[in-house]
Amino acid sequence: MSAQSGKLQVLQVDGVSKEYRLYASARDRLKALVTGKPYHRSHWALRDVTFKLGRGECLGVVGNNGAGKSSLLKLLAGTLLPTQGKLERAGRVTAILELGAGFHPDFTGRENLYFAGNIIGIPAPEMRRLEPEIVAFSELGEALERPVKTYSSGMVVRLAFALVTAVQPDLLIIDEALAVGDQHFQKKCVDRIDAFRRNGCTILFCSHSLYHVRQLCDRALWLDGGVVKALGDTESVLAAYEKHVRMQEQTKEAAIVAVASAMASNSVQPDSRSAACIVSVALDGLGLGEPPLLESEDLVVHIEVFSPQGAPPSIGVMLEQAQGVGIDSVATHADGVLPKSLGAGRWRSTLTFSRLPLHTGEYVVSAYLFDGQGLVVFEEWRRYLTFRVMRPSLTPGLVRLEHNWS
Amino acid sequence: MSNDYGLLQDLKVLWRSGALTFVLARRDVAARYAGSAGGVLWAYVPPLLTVACYFLVFDVVFGMRLGDKAPVERVGTYLIVGMLPWMAFCDALSRAATSLVDAGGLLQKNALPPVVFPARSVLASAAVFAPLMLALVPAYLPWHHFSTALLALPALVVLQWLLCFVLGYLVAIFTAAMRDAAHLLGLALSLGVFLSPVLFPVALFPETWRWVLWINPMTGPILGYQSVLLKGEWPPAAVWMALLLWMGVAATLLEVAVRRSREQLVDWL
Repeated sequence: MSAQSGKLQVLQVDGVSKEYRLYASARDRLKALVTGKPYHRSHWALRDVTFKLGRGECLGVVGNNGAGKSSLLKLLAGTLLPTQGKLERAGRVTAILELGAGFHPDFTGRENLYFAGNIIGIPAPEMRRLEPEIVAFSELGEALERPVKTYSSGMVVRLAFALVTAVQPDLLIIDEALAVGDQHFQKKCVDRIDAFRRNGCTILFCSHSLYHVRQLCDRALWLDGGVVKALGDTESVLAAYEKHVRMQEQTKEAAIVAVASAMASNSVQPDSRSAACIVSVALDGLGLGEPPLLESEDLVVHIEVFSPQGAPPSIGVMLEQAQGVGIDSVATHADGVLPKSLGAGRWRSTLTFSRLPLHTGEYVVSAYLFDGQGLVVFEEWRRYLTFRVMRPSLTPGLVRLEHNWS
Repeated sequence: MSNDYGLLQDLKVLWRSGALTFVLARRDVAARYAGSAGGVLWAYVPPLLTVACYFLVFDVVFGMRLGDKAPVERVGTYLIVGMLPWMAFCDALSRAATSLVDAGGLLQKNALPPVVFPARSVLASAAVFAPLMLALVPAYLPWHHFSTALLALPALVVLQWLLCFVLGYLVAIFTAAMRDAAHLLGLALSLGVFLSPVLFPVALFPETWRWVLWINPMTGPILGYQSVLLKGEWPPAAVWMALLLWMGVAATLLEVAVRRSREQLVDWL
């Protein structure tokens, strides 16, 4: 934790706890207010959370539902006050908690822009300077003069995002906000956040998408039941968290796999739509059985995708044990290769694991479609294809590692 | 955490957020009449209509007269001086009472000090009623003859709205804890007009029961307005004493309420 000594401290959280007082009824709440005596049950959403963030650092917060992630983010954003402990923030803090919450439907986009600007600390004169940039980023154009009630939900979110990120903050707090708008806008959002990060903005990012946490964050914080379970470099924290989740879910695993594969087979979409999507995922050399037996020595995965943007997308594949751990994941952007263009926005990649070094067992393949930099997940087909591997062997194991005796 | 934060800190925060409070108040009035052609002008219609009705019905059509003990003979002229401040008081207080609950969404999503919301409601109400009340000065020229006592009028107006803010913030916190508080306030306000010198001059109340009038925080200011506008006389000391006493009581209660609710207030909304 002392690795960032020398860097400017942007955020210091010191033994922060948050208690929610649960009153059985509003009458009890009134009694507590009038008499000053406790009439509540306590629920501690956070207990003794301590960490520091230096300038330019990016911290990912992970944890199950109810672990206290949202409470932590609200405390840092300043909408909630800590029950105990101290919280010090330096510079401008921007929180992307819920976009477009303060907009009034009867006012125009511009009126709402100026009003919401006041709320987040951008006074009118500064707003006049920022307005052209915000309008350009939100791509609203003429619609800015129309009442917000005529906007689509995507337009509201675009305006709100453009507004809150108009000024580069010192600390940016993001709650699952990467999933805003359509894919094109999502990409713009992610690019902007990435640009902030490169400019030295400190980011605190809360997401269920471990993929994004891995991509964006250099440190991670795992909350469990309101206490810090682990804090450190992203990889080791996420590894511990993933192991915990897997153990937790092992019992339900079978049921979930059944549901997931049923959903996956239903979700084959026509490629006529305008959004980027996975068109097909297929394995070579599958034989009979349920799940089918892999008869060839190599594992060959064909993935075809559709991406309307001109730039080539990135295609990813993850290989996991059907009932257990992940084995490997690869992506074209990570390996520095491009999918082949088939024209009309279609792209194809073929992935080969030669002489698949796996022991006997059941395995499952997931396919992912990213933007070219691997920042935005356009689509994922989780646990799409299951197959069996049969390799007679006298010794147990998972992967047959290359080895020699001497 | 809650021990070192009281009303004084809240007022400092409010002072620093002055510009924001102003924007919120303007928006509050604008939002009420958004989409109407008349816009903000609609805010002035109900009080103006009431004043016009009192004048036409009591003074022009029926020509009703009060007894000798009243500060002025004409009923309509008497009613308007008390009713306008009373309407302002009701408007400010009932808007402030629900201000925190109504702003729940905004407060949970943005780091804003809660105190600005009752302040903006009272300010928005003052923007409508204060000009109307000051417009009484030229209208009542035949009664006060530009006496120096008119200097007391701005002080009365400011004190009335300060009292509104303190009481309104207090009720708003109670409403946040239990929504019934706003309904109880509505009830109290509809009864309160009878416990005040708005409809009848104090002299007409039975002497043994006159003290009951002082339960109403607006009795003081209304007597003050009546003596300045109707008689051109400085308000009696009792008016100032009552105002200060009410202010002290309300501020003390508010101080306790702020301390006890501060940390959890936003959770209640």
